[in-house]
Formats: sequence, structure tokens, C-alpha cells
Amino acid sequence: MRRRSFLRAAGAGGVAGLAGCTGGGGGSGSGSDSGSTETATPTAEDTAVATATGTTASSTPELVVATYGTFVDAPSTSPGRWIKETFESEFDATLTFETPDSEINYYIERANRGIDIDADVYAGVRVRDLIRIDEQLDGGLFTTVEGVPGQENVKSDIQFDPSGRVVPFATGYVSLVYDRTQGAYGDYSAPETFEGLLESEYEGDLLAQNPASSTTGRLFLLHTIQEFGPDGYLDYWADLQDNGARVLGSWSDSYGAYQEEQAPMVVSYSTDQVYAARSDENLDQHQIRFLNDQGYADAEGMAMFEGTDTPDLARSFAEFMLRPEVQGEIAQQWVSFPATTTADLPDSFATYAQEPPEGVAFNYEILRDNLSEWTREWERQFASK
Amino acid sequence: MRLTIDNVRKEYGGTVALGSGADGDAARTENGGDAPAGIDLEVADGEFFTLVGPSGCGKTTTLRLVAGFDSATRGDVRFDGRAMAGVPPEDRGVGVVFQNYALFPHLSVAENVAYGLRFTDPPGGETRDKRVASLLELVDLPDAGPRDPGALSGGQRQRVALARALAPGPDLLLLDEPMSALDARLRERLRLQIKRIQSTLGITTLYVTHDQEEALAVSDRVAVMSDGAVEQVGPPQAVYRRPETRFVAEFVGDNNVFEGRVESSRTGDEPDGSDDPVGDSGRSPLETAGVRSGSGSDPAPGAGGGGGRDRTSEDRDRTVFVDVDGTTVPVQTSRRIRPDARVTFCVRPERMWALESGGDGTGAGVGSAEGGSDATVALDATVSNAEFLGESTRTYLRWKGRELTVRTADPLSGDVRVGFDGGDAHVIGVASGGASAFESGRD
Amino acid sequence: MDRSAGVRFVDARGDTAVRAVPPDPVARIRRRLPGTVSAAGSWVERHALGLVAAATAAILLVVFYFPVATVFVEAVVVDGRVTAAPLVDVLTSEFYLVDILWFTAYQALLSTVASVVLGLPAAWILARFEFPGREALRSLTILPFVMPSIMVAIGFVATFGRNGTLNTVLRALGLPTVELLFTLPAIVIAHAFYNAPLVARVTTAAWESVDASAIETARSLGASPTRAFYDVVVPQLRPAVAIGATLTFVFTFASFPIVLALGGFQLATVEVFIYSRIQSLAYSEAAALAAVETVISLGLTYLYLRYEGRQRGDSQGANPESRRRLWPSSWTLREVGIRTVIVGYGVVILAVFVVPVASMVLTSVTGGGGLTLEHYLFLVERQQTGASYQVRPLPAVRNSLLFGAGTLLVAVPMGVVLAVLTTRRFRGRAAIDALTMAPLAVSGIVVGLGLLRGLVFGVEVLGTRIRVTGAVAVVAAHAVGAYPFVTRSVAPLLGNLDARLVESARSLGATRVRALVDIELPLVAAGVVAGAAFAFAISIGEFDSTIVLAEGSSSYTMPVAVERYLGRRLGPATAMGCLLLAVTSLSFVVIERFGGRYGGRGGF
Repeated sequence: MRRRSFLRAAGAGGVAGLAGCTGGGGGSGSGSDSGSTETATPTAEDTAVATATGTTASSTPELVVATYGTFVDAPSTSPGRWIKETFESEFDATLTFETPDSEINYYIERANRGIDIDADVYAGVRVRDLIRIDEQLDGGLFTTVEGVPGQENVKSDIQFDPSGRVVPFATGYVSLVYDRTQGAYGDYSAPETFEGLLESEYEGDLLAQNPASSTTGRLFLLHTIQEFGPDGYLDYWADLQDNGARVLGSWSDSYGAYQEEQAPMVVSYSTDQVYAARSDENLDQHQIRFLNDQGYADAEGMAMFEGTDTPDLARSFAEFMLRPEVQGEIAQQWVSFPATTTADLPDSFATYAQEPPEGVAFNYEILRDNLSEWTREWERQFASK
Repeated sequence: MRLTIDNVRKEYGGTVALGSGADGDAARTENGGDAPAGIDLEVADGEFFTLVGPSGCGKTTTLRLVAGFDSATRGDVRFDGRAMAGVPPEDRGVGVVFQNYALFPHLSVAENVAYGLRFTDPPGGETRDKRVASLLELVDLPDAGPRDPGALSGGQRQRVALARALAPGPDLLLLDEPMSALDARLRERLRLQIKRIQSTLGITTLYVTHDQEEALAVSDRVAVMSDGAVEQVGPPQAVYRRPETRFVAEFVGDNNVFEGRVESSRTGDEPDGSDDPVGDSGRSPLETAGVRSGSGSDPAPGAGGGGGRDRTSEDRDRTVFVDVDGTTVPVQTSRRIRPDARVTFCVRPERMWALESGGDGTGAGVGSAEGGSDATVALDATVSNAEFLGESTRTYLRWKGRELTVRTADPLSGDVRVGFDGGDAHVIGVASGGASAFESGRD
Repeated sequence: MDRSAGVRFVDARGDTAVRAVPPDPVARIRRRLPGTVSAAGSWVERHALGLVAAATAAILLVVFYFPVATVFVEAVVVDGRVTAAPLVDVLTSEFYLVDILWFTAYQALLSTVASVVLGLPAAWILARFEFPGREALRSLTILPFVMPSIMVAIGFVATFGRNGTLNTVLRALGLPTVELLFTLPAIVIAHAFYNAPLVARVTTAAWESVDASAIETARSLGASPTRAFYDVVVPQLRPAVAIGATLTFVFTFASFPIVLALGGFQLATVEVFIYSRIQSLAYSEAAALAAVETVISLGLTYLYLRYEGRQRGDSQGANPESRRRLWPSSWTLREVGIRTVIVGYGVVILAVFVVPVASMVLTSVTGGGGLTLEHYLFLVERQQTGASYQVRPLPAVRNSLLFGAGTLLVAVPMGVVLAVLTTRRFRGRAAIDALTMAPLAVSGIVVGLGLLRGLVFGVEVLGTRIRVTGAVAVVAAHAVGAYPFVTRSVAPLLGNLDARLVESARSLGATRVRALVDIELPLVAAGVVAGAAFAFAISIGEFDSTIVLAEGSSSYTMPVAVERYLGRRLGPATAMGCLLLAVTSLSFVVIERFGGRYGGRGGF
């Protein structure tokens, strides 16, 4: 896999010699200087980190699941480990996560240059990623997935790929999170409508995120476009900006500022209370508001790389992910909503994870034709003020 | 070790630092004789050889070329006949002492001295520690080893620098103005010490200084340099007594330089009417080489101390009568000089004496007022300034618009008449054409 | 002291001399010590400067010039055709040109002024006053350099926010509160937080090398203390302040995450758009923006270098002024005035530096409404049970330290050798200077983009795909970003050294490199240590090229771990951030200690 490809590269161009060797061997002991790791017999850990080497891969089939970092490595909870352990215990296979920092772009770039892709499955494809893949690549990156058991249970309104490559496995909603304890008498309440955000009493109260770099920021922008139309959203944003709404760089920036009570409202996910309850925080500070009783839906799914050398295992993985008990576990660990209608969820789940009365979202075609332009027009207006 | 400097020339950018004539100056080259040239010097094994000249004359450049810090634009530096081009300083086996000591401030005195022993074994199979100790003893600082260079006086630092340079047993010692930063008394003591160490070790030494007195005091031979060229090479006495160029005459010691037209000449008592091919040729005729030093025994009138003149009857059997601004000076010389030639000659200040004094009324001359022979020339001048030097007084006079210097035992003042003996005049150069009036010999 | 020395020697020590140096000429012939250097070793030693310079050029070419060229080519070649369209688009866009680039330059200018204003008094106090902990304080001035922007953002919100420390104090004092966050002043203060220490550090070094006798001369000629300061001290500080200001401008011109975190998108800088275009794979537009940004930064750096070239050789630092005591022995009106100024400045420093950092530390031990160690326990737990595909604290620490140490080992020789070359005079030196200093002027994202578009995924050379990734590449990239700091810290000091020291050493048998190592480096140890500390800091703080080059491998560093541990609770990330601060502080102290010992008895 990648280890092999780098060894090839190392043979050709000496500079690359120590590629990818330093980080993994945390436990491999003494000094583990990068030079020696290359030739050393890989420890079990090494194998897990980066990929299998020829020796271990031959005995157990390996499924390389590409995803983004937080899916396997969030400081709170993330479903990655549970998925890996459960999957491996059931299928006689090794599940290896690959989490490149540039996420889907990493694979687009590789495909663009005709370099082998070692991953078999990508978990966490969003509609924006799909648009980018289709813009950048003539061929394609993913293959169509049909007839996976359980696929029929996926909620129809969150299936965002018209070509049937992406199978959703989780969904969520973007909403406002507000802090009831703020305000003059500790009785703050967020407005109920988009127009309400323009009221002077909410001046300087909203924190949002840059739609070009943040998922919540992008979805909130799309929600305003859904509400005011492509011709009206810029005017709405102009008013919002006049009313002191702040757009920060990332969700972390804005949520951190929100927690420091810099503003009483922040654009976030409607599952916010789940975390708050888990860490015994005051739920009054984590109130959810669906503007106009709507939540903008955010679905993510999995897709199979065209070049996978284990298509059957990849299909098994998709089937596994859609099982009711797995869907339930992912929803709880990932703090999202299941993608299927058949998920096994405890009743308590609904206490803190709030679903909007109405979910809204643009479909793939509209976003493909407009997302980039809408975002740029917004940038040009907002940044030049 | 024998050091040879063979036609060496150094240019920085377009500037000639060493050598004469300018490269690419076609006009001068076409005029002939002034093509780009380097300098030539030969230093014998064990010789104490000094380069002396004013700042910018090229003496330090020469030393740097020998040390290997710079490379010559043209020409060869040879050690015992071996060309040094491309040999880095560390492989030349030279010891260098700089004016500012250049001791390594972060190392102790002993570590400084031992530094060169990191790269070579101590000569004579000594241990390093012993070598360092014996060198510190050699420079009379036996207990300074553990000290910080910063805690030493200037003279002590200079001696440490000398010990450091000598430690690896160099074949050639280069001293670059080693004493300029020291006070006068210390300088005199230290130069004696250096000279003694040098002659004890028998190490070939190239010494660079701007101080002509120092150069005369310590050297076996001296090269006087000016403007990138060597003016004269010779033992100190020869250079002092018989300067070959006006520059040397004026640079080495105080001097009074005169210029005038030859009215007549005679050999012994006979007028000499014959043509002088040397004078005609325009070349600068040299005095006989191989003058022995220490022959100053001629008790000329007014001999005010210092060395004697050196002449013999065979040497200087002619007298030319030179008209200097209306005053006729009989100058003794060995040359045959045709009448009408322009002659430059010099008279040392200590060879002049006061014939009679002005204002003070004291006859202050070393020689008596009547001490002049028939060769005595008298000049009526006005005192413009005087410096009391202790054993004598240096007096500056105005005479016919030019400045003269005389050395007398007591100060002069007012209008004075000074005299000198024609036999004490030394001919520097002869030219057949006219020349500009010269200034006095002080610079 | 040596009154009788010379005479005594002449009279009494003649035979000592004979014993000391046998006149046997054979004994005086210089021999290389047997076995110390083999022929090959000696060849390497002789050519070490050239070899390091060549290696520097090679590394620069591979991990800097080639990537940057890739970006520039990307800006003018679209789909295989040469076109000016992307550049023209940027340069004719009122939005980019007027709104974004102009604003970016404007905020950079303000930030530069603020950094200089905030940094100079620190330099004054560090250079001119003696107090316990001065050395340590000086070492730690470099700390802000390594702070991940997310940490700074957290600290700043806690300090300057609506309900932050500053407003709490103001309220308690009955003063009106200030709304600083998400405004231009917030960005400017944050930039000063990062860069004022840089200004302070370089200026302190220059101030310490001002020769006291020059000031005394000016005073003796009738200048008042103030006048002497303006006439003697200021001219010698000017180049240091200029390099500090230039670097600050260049850095803040390319500032990005902190701008969005504390200013908001309405204050977006050009780098925000470069990053955003890279994210959306709109490379030609990103490249065009990056090209414009780079040209501006490089132009400024070139102007600085020309200025520096004219200044070189101004100062001679033989005899520094003695420091005053912070607590004066007598309280004259003047002394009281000076101390009042210092106290006032201390309050500002407290607000801008101490409180934000303290807030970060506090955040890392706060949770569930009280003090807790749970976030540190999270680190422990993650270390113990974290899966190999997760980011664990100790490997992050270890990788950071390895990269930092590797960067030191590569950047210090590179920087020192270039400093040696820089102090020489040769034709075309100005151009070489500019080329070697260029890494200072090009933003990390631009280099990262170039690496991403080129060597990370491989470049076909003679039918073989050459890839440059992994630990060695990370160290190389860090070293390229770091060595200009070494060069700039060392070159001025080296230039002031007496050339005869080296010449003496060489005539004693040392090669050029030995002379450098034995003589020059110990004497400029202060500069080497400062440069080394900067190099280490650059490596620790570097984010863009680390991420790009470590792509797919697990060579994550401490800042990457901080980023990874960000979540709904700020605790884990701040705990990791505090670990970063602790590890880095310790490293700085070690570097300065080691460097100080290397400096030996030089007295720096």
C-alpha cells in the first residue's frame, strides 16, 4: 500500500527516503529514529498506522477507510474506534483508517495525477465534496454502489448523489445555539425567524462561520439562500452585518467565543445539548433554535473508490454501516442522526438531540451550478465592508 | 627559510595596491617604461627584513600576500623557491603578529599560545604544555598562562601574540605593525626584545612598520615602499645615508632637500668640462653599492651627532657647484654631472649648524660660527617654529619661501644664519631638464 | 605592570630562548598531526563552507524555489497554455486590489507600528536594566512565536472579550468597558502579541552592542543624555528596528487564522482568500493571489536588504554600556519618572501578554464550573489508550522535538555559513542576499501550495516519479524557513569581528572552518543562540508545510495535536497547548544554556 509506494519512490529519488516513518512508532521504543524504521520489521502498531505491508496484508484482507480526522479522533467522542473494532471482530479483516489533512482533496489530487489510491472506501462524503470531485475529475473517483443490503432503508430526502455513488450514513441539522443565561435578567431568547435576527435587540449577538472553510458556515449561508432566494440573500446578509453579526474563520473560533460569552448566539448543530448534557454543563447555555422552524440538513455518506482491490469487503463495510445497531451507535457516538429509518436508538437519544420540524436542503444539481458563485458573491460583499 | 617575492602585483577592483603602472591604461603603456609591473624582494634565511613606508604604500598588502590571506593578481611568492600560489594560510607555516594583537578573547593566555599546537606537533618533540610554558617564558610572561587576555596590558598582550605565533615553530615570522598601539618607551623595549628573540631563533622575519626609526633600529635590511612600489632596499645605514630617491630622502629621517642648476664642476681642483653621459641619459645614477656600515668617521664641522657621513676620497672626488635660488652650493659627489643639469640633493638637519643667531644673540650652533671651511654654505633664514626634543632642538626655518629643518643643541629664534658643509650634501638625482622647485625635506 | 619585563628578558633569558625553540630547521617544519584528519576528511574540512553553501542551495531549490516557482507557473499557465488571465483578473479586480490587498497592507502597517511601539520599551528594559530573571525573560520573549493561533484566540477572547479580564477590571474600577473583539484593534493587538517580541529581541541584541565609549564621547562633546541617545544610540538601533519592522510587516501581511478568529470575515486578508481558493482547488486564482502577495513581500524584503547593506559595519560592540539597576539606589525625580514609565509599560505587557497566556492556562484547568485536571487526564488517557490512527500527545511532543532538533542541526550551519558569505564582499552579493533571505518573505501557505502541487505527489524526472515527503522533507522545509533568522542574527555580529582573529587562527594552522568553529562562533555565540532559538521556534510553530509534507504519514506535531483536540470543550486543546508551551519553554532554556556554555568565557 502506501508503504510500498514510498519504498518505490525512495529507491528512485533519495530525498524521499524517510517518508512517513517518523510518527507512527510511538511505542516501538528506543530512539526509533526515522532512518531505522524504514528497514525495521514493522511492529503491529506500524502496520496499523500506516498501512499494511506486504507481509501482514497477505494473511488478513485489509480495508482502508479514508475519512477526516475528527471521525476517528475527536476529543469528545468519535465512532471510528468502535466501527473498527466491531467490524474487525465480525469480518476477518483489518480495518485501517487513513486521514489525510486535506481530506477529499488529497484523493482528487492523486486521481488527477494518476497516482494509485490505496484507500478502498471514503467515509464522510458531503455534497460539496461530490461537486468538487465532479468538477475536477473527468473520470471519477467513486464507483456506483447498488443493492447493498439496508440501502433501501436510507431516508430518501437525504440521498444527495443523483449518480448513486454515495450512501449516506449520518445526517444532522444546522441551527442556532443560544445561551439563555445571558441578557439582562438571565432570560435571553433567540429570535424565531430570520427577520428576527435583524431586530436591534439582537445587535451584535450572532456568531457565524466563514462559508468557504466551515461546514456550518456554508450550510447556514445556504439556509439563508433557501429562505430569501439567490436574489435576496445578499440584502439579508447586508442587514445582518449591519446588525453586528460576526462571521469567524471556523466553527471552533466561533464556538470558543460563544463559550466565553462573547455573544449569546452561535451557528452550530442541533445536537449541541447531547455534548452539554454529557459534560454536565448548564443546558440553559445550550438552547437550540430552528429559525422559521427549519433546520438545514447536512448529510454525509460513504463511497467506494473505483480502484479498490477489495470491492467485496468494501460492500460489506457499507452493509455493516447501515445495520440498525450500527446506525444507532454511530448516531450516539458521532452525535448525529441516523441515515436510515431503522436505526436502533435508545429513547433517551431524542431528549437532547433535537430534530427540526422541517428539514431543508438544496439538491445536488442546484448546488453544483450555484454553490461556488453564491459563496463568492457573499465573500465579496461581506469582506469589503 | 628564504622568501622570494617575484614580480608580485595586487589589484583590488581597478585599484592597484601593489606594483606600479595601471592595468588597462593604454596611454601610459604606450609611453613606454610604465607598463604594469610588480615588486621584487628577496629575504635571506634568518634575515630580519623590514618593509617601511607611509600608510597605503603596499607594505601590509605585501605581508598579507606572503601570509596567504590575499592572493596576488600576478607574480609569485616563493618559500625556499617553492611557489605558494593556492597554498592556504594554514599550510604555509608562517606566524603572524598583528598590530592589535588579535588574541582570542574567549581563550586563556595559555590556550591562545597552544592554539596552533592543535594542528601540529610541537617542534623538537616537546609536549604541548611544555612548549606553551617555554614560550611564555621566552616572552617573559611565565605566570600568565591561566589569565584572560583582557586582563593583560598592551605590551603583555603583544608578547602573548608573539608567543602564540612562534608556538608551532613557523619558518617565517610576519609582524604587521606590531608595536604601533604601544607607548613610545614600551615600543623601544619591546622591539629590542623582538630583535633578540628573532636573532636567537634565527627565524626569517618580515616586519612591517610605518615607523622609519623603528625600521632602522631593528632590521638587517630595509625596503622603503611608496605608492605600491619599492623605492630602495638596503641596510639601514645605507638607506639613511644615501637615499636613492627623493621619497626615501624625505621619508627616512628628517631631511632638507634642495634642487638647483649645476653651474660648474671640478674634480679635485681641476674644472671638469667633460660631458657626463650619465647625466645626459636622464637615468638616476646610483652610488656605488656595497657601502659598509659604521664607517662614519669623518669629523666634519658641525657634525651634530648620530652617524658620521660616509664618503671616501675615491667615492666623492668631484664637486659640483649648484645654484639654488641664487645661492651657490658646492656639493661633493662621485658622479660626473654636466653643467646646466638639474640636481636634487639633501642635507640632514643635524649636519646644519647656526653660524650666527638673530634676536637672542646666542651663538647656538653645535659647531662654532667660524667653523666653516671653504665648502661651507651659509643661508640666511627666519625661525618659524621649534621643537625641543631633549638632547637637541628641531628648528623649522623659512628660507627663500621654503622650509628648512635644523637640529641644534639649543633653541634658535628670530633671524638666523645657518650653514652646512658641501661635503655633507648627498646627491639624490640628476635631470637634464628643468624641474619645479622643491619643498623642504620634512613631510 | 610589565615595567621590567623586556629588559630582564634581554639580560637574563637568552638561554631560555635557546632551550625553548631549537634552531634546528628540521624541527620547525610544520607537520599536520598524524591521524587527526584523513585525506578525505581534510578535503571535506577544507571545502566545508562551500559544501554547506552548496547543500543550502540544493535544499533551497528543492523545498523552496521549486515549490514557489510551481505556484508562479500555476498563475500564468492554465491548461498548458501561457496566459496572463489569472493575474489580470486579480490586478483588475477592485475587490482584490482595493478591498483586500489594500486592507491587508493597511492592517499590516498598523500591526507593524503597534509591534514596534510595544517592542522597543522591552528592548530598552532588557538591554539597559539589570534585574533578577533578565536572562530568562529574554529567552522567553520568543515564546509567543510558537503559539498556535487557536490558543492565542482563546486567550484573547478570555482577556479582551465582552466579559473578559480587561472589562472585568474596568468595571471594578468604575470605568467604561471596551468592545475590542472582532474589530481591527483586536487584530492589531494580536499581531503585536506575536511580533513585538521579535522586535524586542533583535533590538535588544543591537542595543547591547552599542559601544559605551561612543556615548561617552558624545557626552564629552557637550551632548545631553537625550541628545547622545539620538545621535549615537538611535542610529545603531535603526537597522535592528528596521529588520524587526520589515519582518513584522511581512508576517502580518500574510497573517490568516488569527485574523478570522479575532477580527471576523469582514476584516479578511488576502491570505484568507488564498487559503480558500486552495481548499476549493481553484489553483490558478490562488496562485495569482499568492504571486501578488509574494511580490509585495519580496519587494519589501529587498528594500530592507538594500538598506541593511548601506548600514553594515556601522557599529563596533567592544565595550557595552553597563546596565542600570531596576531598583535605583536613590530616588531622584528623574529616576521616579523612569520607573513610572516602566510600571506603566509593565501594565500594558501584563494585559497583552501575561493575561492571555494565563487565560489559556486557566482554561486548561477549568471545567464543569470549577478547577479540574480532567483535560490533562484526557491527554494521559489518550496517550495510554489512543489508537495508532489517533493523535497522541507524546508522539506529538517527540515529533515536534525531533523536527525542532533536526531543524536546529540543519538551519544553524546553513545560517552561519550564509552569514559568513554575507560578510564577505563579492560581486552579486546583494542578489545572493536577497535570494537566500526570500524564505522570510514568502508565506507558509504559498510554499505549502507549491509543495502540494509539486513534490508531495511526485514530479516525473526521467521517467521516475520523485516524491519529497516525510520527516526529512519536513525538517528541510522547516530549516529553509528558519535559517534566515540564524543568518540575520549572526551576520551583524560576525561582521563586527576583527578579521585578524580569523587570520591569526589560519596562520596558526586552522582551516577556515576550524577558525569559524574555534574562534568566530564562540565570539558570536549570543547571535548563534538567538538564531538557534528562532530556528527552533519556527520549527515548533510551523504548521502549513508540516501538514502538507506529513500528509498521510503520522508525523503530527504539537500544533497539529492542539488543532485535533479542539472540540466543544476548549479544555483538551488548551491542555495540549500548555504542554506545547511547557515543552517549548524548557527547550529554549536548554538552548540558551547550551549556547551559553559554548560561548565559554567570551563574557556575552
